[in-house]
Amino acid sequence: MKFTQMSRRVLVMAASGVTATVVLTACGGVKTTSSGGEGAYPTGNIEMSVGASPGGSTDLITRAIAQGLSKELGVSVPVVNKPGANGALNAKELQSAKADGYKIAVQNASLFTITPLAVSANEAVKLDDFDLIGGISQDDYVLIAPVASGYKTIADLKKTGKNIKYGTTGVGTGAQLASALTFKQAGIESTDVPFDGGAPALTALLGSQVDVATIQVGDSIEQIKARKVVPLAVFSADRIKFLPDVPTAKEQGYDVVVSQYRFLTAPKGTPDDVKTKIGDAAKKTFATDTYKKFNDAHCLTPIEVTPDEVKKILDEYATKYKAQLDQYGISLAAKK
Amino acid sequence: MDFLNPVVDGFGVVLQPVNLLYCLIGVVIGMLIGVLPGLGPAATIAILLPITYGVEPVSAIIMLAGIFYGAQYGGTITSVLLRLPGEASSVVTVFDGFALAKQGRAGTALGVAAIGSFIGGTVSIIGLTLLAPVVAEVALDFGPPEYAALSLFGVLLVATVGNGGRTKSVIAAGIGLLLATVGRDTFTGASRFTFDSLNLADGIDFVPIAMGLFGLGEILYNLEERHHKVQAPAKVANVWPSRHDLKQSRGAIGRGSVIGFVLGVLPGGGATLSSLVAYAVEKRRAKQPERFGRGAIEGVAAPETANNAAATSSFIPLLTLGIPANATMALMFGALLIQGIPPGPQLVSEHPDLFWGVVNSMYIGNILLLIMSIPMVGIFVRILRIRPAILAPITVLITLLGVYTVANRVFDIFLVIVFGVVGYLMKKFGFEPGPLVLAFVLGSVMEKAVRQSLLIFGGDVTGFFTRPISGTVLAALIAVLALPGVRYLMRRKSAARDKELV
Repeated sequence: MKFTQMSRRVLVMAASGVTATVVLTACGGVKTTSSGGEGAYPTGNIEMSVGASPGGSTDLITRAIAQGLSKELGVSVPVVNKPGANGALNAKELQSAKADGYKIAVQNASLFTITPLAVSANEAVKLDDFDLIGGISQDDYVLIAPVASGYKTIADLKKTGKNIKYGTTGVGTGAQLASALTFKQAGIESTDVPFDGGAPALTALLGSQVDVATIQVGDSIEQIKARKVVPLAVFSADRIKFLPDVPTAKEQGYDVVVSQYRFLTAPKGTPDDVKTKIGDAAKKTFATDTYKKFNDAHCLTPIEVTPDEVKKILDEYATKYKAQLDQYGISLAAKK
Repeated sequence: MDFLNPVVDGFGVVLQPVNLLYCLIGVVIGMLIGVLPGLGPAATIAILLPITYGVEPVSAIIMLAGIFYGAQYGGTITSVLLRLPGEASSVVTVFDGFALAKQGRAGTALGVAAIGSFIGGTVSIIGLTLLAPVVAEVALDFGPPEYAALSLFGVLLVATVGNGGRTKSVIAAGIGLLLATVGRDTFTGASRFTFDSLNLADGIDFVPIAMGLFGLGEILYNLEERHHKVQAPAKVANVWPSRHDLKQSRGAIGRGSVIGFVLGVLPGGGATLSSLVAYAVEKRRAKQPERFGRGAIEGVAAPETANNAAATSSFIPLLTLGIPANATMALMFGALLIQGIPPGPQLVSEHPDLFWGVVNSMYIGNILLLIMSIPMVGIFVRILRIRPAILAPITVLITLLGVYTVANRVFDIFLVIVFGVVGYLMKKFGFEPGPLVLAFVLGSVMEKAVRQSLLIFGGDVTGFFTRPISGTVLAALIAVLALPGVRYLMRRKSAARDKELV
């Protein structure tokens, strides 16, 4: 294996680089023509963009759906990560993309219902700027405490009479909203300590750096099962099947229902038949055992509803959150 | 010893031909993507995730793990040859690695780095085998206050590692800290220095800054240089580290292994800190610290050993506590979930075959990487023989492509160009980009940690000093601050004696 010619070596290098990139970006290609074109949709690749880095829940859900869509529609469905501004960057890009069904994205409810409560108006995105294809699933939050603390319920926290330091997954997230509402309603003096997502918040809780933490169920279920942490409440409307013994905040007397909710979107003005086609393919994907297994593994509750219902759910959330924040005088953004 | 039974069984798992093959595939892919700047292990694993669904869980994780630590090996190559650090943890390698390459000793640098990486990785796996559960519990004692103290210590070290003047290092580090404040405030959601651009909402990414300041800056500077004097392509002499080189780096590799293992367990910045601390330790111990930054072989051995050791020990939080320490670990978490093996505190007891299979595969993987590195070093060092007129544009192209792939954002390409110009100007005025980049990385860790700590302490600053670990680190910090004064006095005494060569 000795290369003697310089140019050849450069070529080999360049070629290996290019091949690696091509292989990595177009894995599992079924039909790899460029997007657009005549004939029945779809005739080319459908790109699914993710407004988050690889590895997060939104990314994993998108990849699971992309795999199914590719199988159902017979075209490649590459996933492209466009992280930034909690997904707003990706949303803005999707908003200005061609409305032909070749660019779609899974988006988070919190971006439309909670983030606008924490950031300036010009950075917020509106639901009306997108066409909805259908609902996907609900991702619930749970309030947890270290086992050693002895806390079992939210009322126990109040009994301590001390300032409760609570970790959350960040500013403008459902975790922050749910905790802030709960402690305010319970009249518990508390301090919000935001972390970058579930893992660091959980780490801090396991090390008893904070008193309690609110994170996604999927991020903490194993620690709960291993009895490293105790769940005090879930913030869903009803108990969830992954933690059937854990009472909701509502059962404990606090009017706090907060979940992350994800749905499939396309640019505004995407033709109806295209949306139906994607929606049907998504439904077939949801019905597969692989996808159901995926949902269970990540503790996601399927809410595979119609676009109208998605809109209804989101509008309800947005109105309710805003009203509750006003009612209790909570501000997610600037503190004190 | 009952304890060793599962470990031995684990070797049985790895040595199955299928698993050996996946291990090989993993480390080869890892090494390749490590060489390409930008495309990191996280993005690669995300893309390969669907392929792993149909594979046995152990094989899948063995492969994904191989990609992760294989990338650490590959990253060294571009840092040394082209001054392109692909990850924050290899920034420090650039200082002496690139200096060595310029002296025609790239092979020495890469050879020592490969050997150091192998030893660091292996020591860390042994540590993982014997100490994982204990270490994981200790790591939990590291809360925001400890991170605050450590990162402050790191920033202080930054000022001492550059080979420019200390004042210039401090200025560069200060700019780095300021750059770290760009983006949406993680505590209030307020936008800082984003100029209403959503592209800056998450702040600036490490990759465009490092690629611009180091890679592009260097290329621009060289283009100008070429008009002054004809630069002969660097000679590529002694591809192999001599016995003398190995002897010289022995201590650095040993200390780097330990530092890397210990700091790597800490999620968030552990690997970067470990390479920085390992380098600073060597520079402090050296009889002639001024050699550092001008091609000291220990300056390559220490950080490369440490970052590989850290890459291995960063598996500890995932495998023993079920906490993913970084994006790559988060993806492995996802991969395990899909396979029906939720990573959590019970992983070791419920799936010992998987745990020990993966851990033991790292021994094999490291050996494979070392074997592969040997011929690769010989091939890669010849890149330096390519005329700058050809090499420079190719490097720029690869850099720009690499930066784009990080977030699939054109904006980042403009950022690289801006930082490239800044890097050029810095070099022209005698500033080192190293302190700036490292301070940038540590700055965001520090800001978050300090503010979280203050929230936890209820605003009471003395809290930092009353906790054992953060208190100790801060005490050490004060000692280091006082040391230059003491050293100055000592050096005046022994100035005459210090002239002999090593």
